[in-house]
Amino acid sequence: MSKASVIVVGSGAGGSAAAWALRRAGHPVLILEKGRNLLPGLGTHHGIGSLFGNDEVKAGRAFENQDEILEPRTSRTQEEAGQGVDRSFIGDVNDLPTVAGGGTIHWDAKTPRFWKQDFKALSLYGPVPGATMADWPLSYDDLAPYYDRVEARLGVQGDVHRMPKRTLEQAPRRHQFPLPPNPPMYAGKLLAEGAASLGYEAYPFPMAINSVEGHHGRARCNSCGFCSGFGCPINARGSAAVSFLHEALLHGAKLRPRSFVYRIDTTKNGKLARGVSYLDSRGRKRKARADIVILAASGIETARLLLLSRSAAHPHGLANRSGQVGRNLMFHFVTLGIGIFTDDVHAWRGPSTTFVIDDFIGPYTGPEAKNAGLPYLKGGLCETGGDILLLDEAQIYAAPPNSWGKQHKNLMRQSVFRRHLAGMSMLGEDMPQAANRVDLDPKIRDVYGFPVPRITRSQHKFELASSSYYGPKLAEICQRAPGAVSGQVIPAGTLSSNNATGDLTGGLASTAHIMGTARMGHDPRHSVVDAFGRAHEVENLFVADGSPFVTAGGFNPTLTIMALSLRMAEHIAGVRYERARGRRHRPRHH
Amino acid sequence: MGEGISRRSFVRAGGALGLLALVPRARLEELLAASARAAGTGGGHFLTAHELDTLRAVCGRLVPGPPDDPDPGAREAHVPEAIDLLLGAFRVSPPMIHAGGPFSRRAGGKRDDFTHFVRLDRHAALGWRIRLEGTRGKRQREFAGPVRGLQQIYREGLAHLDSRAAGHFAALPGPAQDAILSDQSDDQVQELVGVALSNTLEAMYGPPEYGGNRGLVGWKYTHWPGDRQPRGYTDAQVSGLDAGGPGFKLDAKALRGMERFLPALAGVRPSRERFWLRSRGLRGR
Repeated sequence: MSKASVIVVGSGAGGSAAAWALRRAGHPVLILEKGRNLLPGLGTHHGIGSLFGNDEVKAGRAFENQDEILEPRTSRTQEEAGQGVDRSFIGDVNDLPTVAGGGTIHWDAKTPRFWKQDFKALSLYGPVPGATMADWPLSYDDLAPYYDRVEARLGVQGDVHRMPKRTLEQAPRRHQFPLPPNPPMYAGKLLAEGAASLGYEAYPFPMAINSVEGHHGRARCNSCGFCSGFGCPINARGSAAVSFLHEALLHGAKLRPRSFVYRIDTTKNGKLARGVSYLDSRGRKRKARADIVILAASGIETARLLLLSRSAAHPHGLANRSGQVGRNLMFHFVTLGIGIFTDDVHAWRGPSTTFVIDDFIGPYTGPEAKNAGLPYLKGGLCETGGDILLLDEAQIYAAPPNSWGKQHKNLMRQSVFRRHLAGMSMLGEDMPQAANRVDLDPKIRDVYGFPVPRITRSQHKFELASSSYYGPKLAEICQRAPGAVSGQVIPAGTLSSNNATGDLTGGLASTAHIMGTARMGHDPRHSVVDAFGRAHEVENLFVADGSPFVTAGGFNPTLTIMALSLRMAEHIAGVRYERARGRRHRPRHH
Repeated sequence: MGEGISRRSFVRAGGALGLLALVPRARLEELLAASARAAGTGGGHFLTAHELDTLRAVCGRLVPGPPDDPDPGAREAHVPEAIDLLLGAFRVSPPMIHAGGPFSRRAGGKRDDFTHFVRLDRHAALGWRIRLEGTRGKRQREFAGPVRGLQQIYREGLAHLDSRAAGHFAALPGPAQDAILSDQSDDQVQELVGVALSNTLEAMYGPPEYGGNRGLVGWKYTHWPGDRQPRGYTDAQVSGLDAGGPGFKLDAKALRGMERFLPALAGVRPSRERFWLRSRGLRGR
């Protein structure tokens, strides 16, 4: 019997992982990607090239990123929504690369695992007022084998022997990492010493960066320093493209770039997806048909596509009887600490950061939580030793009014932010809120003629209170670093205006971490997809990006997206799928 | 260099995808010379000779060179000519908007891939047409409302500077030019300064293949190594202080300046993702 055919919408982390696994299992796979392919040779036997370079100008010019001119998004705060404001911003709202490989084409490649407690936060710690906290319908143990497989495939570096006991209890590992850590960055080492003097434990950041020449046939990272936010010129960085999509294509999966899917087509009764409608690279309307449709267009675009696909059978958007499609949008909430050093600590050499601190994950239940009216506070991972590159530095100095001219040039010569700064950024967990959501803008259209996604979003006091609590600890670490003359936290709340799009210094919303919007759960009344990413209401429709996340955790989400995707793919392909069909919707017990 | 980035296969595959357009080596020099000549005769790729003169004056205030500053500034770095090249990008094929990759010849690459600008496909070209030329009332471009293009912002902004300067902005003394450019009550001036500053910093501190940063002056006084592929850094360079001890010591004055500067960042949007639309003028509400 021939295997079920599969359409995958989006070639990023979740889409490529699913395509790879399903192609290996013998399924015909068609991947529709909205962007171009910028890795010449991808999917061929010629070897994978790269059109990326150490080029800050190109990185700011919608090369791999979605062009906000063609595909703007709109945003507003919850308060503005309450006042009937349709939108207060048009442009880039946490845009991701729109390119073969998706966000992973220029990701920082940090691959922490979520912790056990993340999957059961409601049970363990109780509700949070004003938030829609819930347990995930699966556990860490369900996901662990898939974490192992994704890490092996990506080529993840790290050192299990240097990880804190707490970390390994919360995220147990059966194996050492496939690769040893990169050379530690000097600035990060200084901050790590500062952290150690306060009893915190910095350790090598697990990341999908090749530290051994030739591993998986790819080059070793040479620490060029143009990493997060830049495509890799030598493909030393593992990604959806080089680690999954390439092999999927080699084995017969089909990739159609510049294909914009605008609708999921269903049977008349709405119970089955028949395929998708899309615009091809020349703007012609096309249809593709398959037995299974997998959405992996990112948290924002997947929700938008479900809403665009409303029909008589699904009047509020496809698979949206629960009303949960688009809701519970999470971005993380970033708090920055900076240390200033008299020496040139060249934090730009290396893959963004090589150290991580996870002492601030929480939960913390002390008086600061109670005073804020919250049962607990949580922070997140601290990327330790971050940098600012030259053009970034120039733009930051130029940001205040009239800050050009001789003063600007002096700042560039002294170069405090580039040569003398080492940063810490804490990826604060943000609360899921029903009112933080993606819907369709009532007026603004994109270049394809379809309503753009509108993001309504305000911070919960949870993020602000957590940032206020943990932020000074970041500053303290920076101050204690050897050679530091200044350590500061850029406090959230004072500098951040609690708006939907964030700003440079507090609550940065350009996190590229997009979660929620099609949350998973056992109960179809309160969730969109089940524990395998399958839509409750459409038997052969799956979601494989950040959308199914129930909570945000304080961790970079991509590894978890990929692990969920492999788990979903195995479910689709395997015997377990057949068994599961017989007792659908029944929760598995752990 | 590993099998993964074999030069020959890379070029072949790139050509097959239609993404690479090989540019004659001397082309950038010719294009820039055309802009440079414009001052005396006709015009640049987009700007007239007079507009280019005005832009030179503006850029010279945004990043000053001698005699106001000891190090070369935006004029010396050919920043105004690079901005003109961007504004007239579609008069060149492929437009010099996205430099190629992966390597230049500055850090061990065998040829300068950056000069092989990446061809825009139909979709990307439309975005850049709108960004540069504006929507101009064309239905195909106004799907999300009207957009003022950079060409119009520059053309009208430069003319406005002349109107603020009794007809000839470039002829004013530097301090008088500064006074106009820093007039926060004049929205049209600030609209121009917003885009000109972003484009000036790009051309001053970005790779020279875009036409600015002539002689790498923007990387010299900042002591910036620029692009580092394929050489990268050695493990020792990553993990330790540079041999011979610290190259640069931060002095107390610089530190105090920075501590004063930090609060000014309140409400500032992140640069790399934002600076094209910093003006808020490109896309109306």
